[in-house]
Formats: sequence, structure tokens, C-alpha cells
Amino acid sequence: MNGESFHLNLMKSGEVRSSSPVRLRVMMPLLAMLATIGLVVWWGSSLAQSIIISAQIKTIEADIDAKRKDHSEVMEQQGLVRELRLQIEQLEYYGNGVRAVGEPLAKLAEVTPVRIQMTELSISPLPPQNLTPPGKKGPPLWGPTTNVETQKLVIAGRATRETPVQAMMESLDADEFAGLVTKARKVNSFRQDSSQSKDGRRLLAFEVEYTMPERRFSK
Amino acid sequence: MKGGFLHDMAPNAQRSFFVTLAFSAVAVAIYMFGVQPAADSLARETRRKGELEASQNSINADLRGAETVKKTLDELRGQIAPYEAALLEPLLESYAMRAKSILDPLAMGAGLSDISYSDEPFRALPLTKPMARQLYTRAAVRMTAKGSYQEAVSFLLRLEKDLPLVSLQAMEITAQQKPSEQSINMILEWPAKGKVTRK
Repeated sequence: MNGESFHLNLMKSGEVRSSSPVRLRVMMPLLAMLATIGLVVWWGSSLAQSIIISAQIKTIEADIDAKRKDHSEVMEQQGLVRELRLQIEQLEYYGNGVRAVGEPLAKLAEVTPVRIQMTELSISPLPPQNLTPPGKKGPPLWGPTTNVETQKLVIAGRATRETPVQAMMESLDADEFAGLVTKARKVNSFRQDSSQSKDGRRLLAFEVEYTMPERRFSK
Repeated sequence: MKGGFLHDMAPNAQRSFFVTLAFSAVAVAIYMFGVQPAADSLARETRRKGELEASQNSINADLRGAETVKKTLDELRGQIAPYEAALLEPLLESYAMRAKSILDPLAMGAGLSDISYSDEPFRALPLTKPMARQLYTRAAVRMTAKGSYQEAVSFLLRLEKDLPLVSLQAMEITAQQKPSEQSINMILEWPAKGKVTRK
């Protein structure tokens, strides 16, 4: 017996479940209980938060309801602002396409030589607007596909010689006529006319066509 | 190992096992029927609160900007006023008759005579993007008269001065026997209300 240890194992084989069976027996229910308490606390905390958030939601909803009328007025005004901006933009398209030809037409009378007898002055009518959609399918378009219009100014008359006509065309090249005509011009006809002047001279009939400045219906 | 797992346990261990089992069952029940629904509900309410807060912030921001919106609206009303004043409104459904009531004083003041008016096809204006609810168009009215070239020009000058948004669309002055009775044919255009794109 001296110096030798003696180990007596009194545990049944079924009791050997862990290295510390006594602690496990206490810890397991304790842990389960703690877990249950933890879940109860979690549940309670969630419910409490839920109650707080519900109260906050009610407060926010009440605040929103109180401001709803004012807000709908502001929203209506914002909608009106957007609508007015678009309307003004379209009206500005019109405004930018407005043509003032009174002054240059008044000056035309001043620069036209006396030896010219004007028979016709015309700004060509516009061709009908094509509002048919591409492929001719569907209802007519709301607006044109182009925002530019070009027209011709035709000056027709009679003169005894070509020089007054030439002088008038040179005068029309001046900047003061820029609102009425561009420098693009075409002599459509220049021929002997059947009529005679007061002094019995045969008259020459002419027709000059000018391209007018573009009317641009845009910003 | 006879008698099974529980039978082999000491009474204290058995009690411990049952207590553990009972607590675990309660814990599972609490989780499934308490915590989980509460957490879901909390998540829903948190989300709803977030949405409401965003909505509230947006409303507050809109209300803070109310003065600016009102000021902008006043400015825009000021900008559109000259155009609205220039719009050609039909008189008993006739644009030509409205034009007559506006233009006759100017034309007669300029010395034109035998003045008559008739409606011409309207022309659509280019569209904005996006389209406005109320569109505008170019209303056209034909005016025919007799008078000299100077009288025609005088009429145009008066027109451009008094009605700056009325534009000459087309014109034809044809010489007649008497220089004071030239045939004058003009198509004049105004801005006018067009179609309504939506309610």
C-alpha cells in the first residue's frame, strides 16, 4: 500500500455523462431558465418599443394630418408653378417667332427709286402644317415636328431700265432690312412688259424673290 | 443501461432534466408566440415610422418652401400676364370678329378702307417637354382692305406698337389703278389658347 494510490470508482456507467455531472445538473436548468427569462425580457422590450413607436407614429400622423391642408395648398401651388413654367415656355416660343416688318417696309418705300412702279409686294403664305404622325398611324400630333419657318418676300414691278431695280436690290442688302430680308435673293423674271411709261417708253417687268429671315419658334 | 436513459439517472438529475425540458419548452413557446411576432410587428412599425418620418420631413420641407413657391408663382403670373393680355379670345365663337373689334380702330386710323376679316387655319406651336396641360396655338385672321402702301405700312407700325405680340404671317399688296386703293391682304396671327392635354 505504501506509495501506491488506490482509486475506487463508485459511479454507475449511466451516470458518466460529462466530466462534471453535478455542475451540468445545476447548469442546464439554470441556463434554460436564464434563456427563458432572456426571451421574456426580449419580448417585453419588443412590446415596450412597439408601444413607444406606436405612440410616435400616432404623433407623426397627427402632425401630418394637421399640416395636410397647408401642404396640399403648397403642392397645388407647386403644380401650378410647373404648369405656368411650361405655358410660359411655349408662349415664349411664340414670342420669339414674332416678326416686326413695319419699319423695314416703311424704309423700303424710301429706298425704292421713283422710276420703279411696284405692282406687287407679297410675303408668301405658309404651307399647311403637317400634324400627321409618322406612318400615318394614330391621332394627329399635338405640335409640329419643326420649329423653324422660312418664307419668301416677292417684289414685283415695272421700271424703264435695270439700274433702278439694281439700286433697290443693293439698298435691300443694308442691315436695316435684316428683319425683312436676308441676302439670299433670286430674280424670278426680268422681261419686257407690254405696257408703256407715260413718256411712251416700253417698260421692263421684274420680279425679285428674297428669302426672309427664319421665324424660329424656340427658346 | 437497463431501464433506459432516465432510469439510469439519479433523482436529482432527473428533476434537473425535467426542469430544463420545461424551461426549454416555455422558452420555445415564448420565442415562437411572443418574441417572433413582437419582433415582426416592431420591424413593421419601425418601417412605418421611417416612412412617416420621411413623409413628415418632406411635408415640413415643402411647407418651409411655401413662401418661395408663392413668390415664384407671383413672378410667373407676372411673366405670363402680357401673353394672357395678348391672347385672342373668340367673340361669339368667331376669332375674326374679335380681331375686327381690335384691329378696326388701328386700320381705320391708318386710313384703310373696305376692311373685312375672315378666319384662317390655326397653326400649332412647338411643344415643351413635358407638355403643359394648357397648350397655346397661333390663331390666324385674314384682313383684306383697300388703301395706299403708306397706309398699309402705317397700319403695321401701329399694330406692332400697340399689339407687340401680333405678328404678320403673310401679306400681299397688289397695285390697282389708283395708288390710294391698292388691294391689301394680310394674315395676322395672335397667341391663343389651344388644346387641353389632360384634366
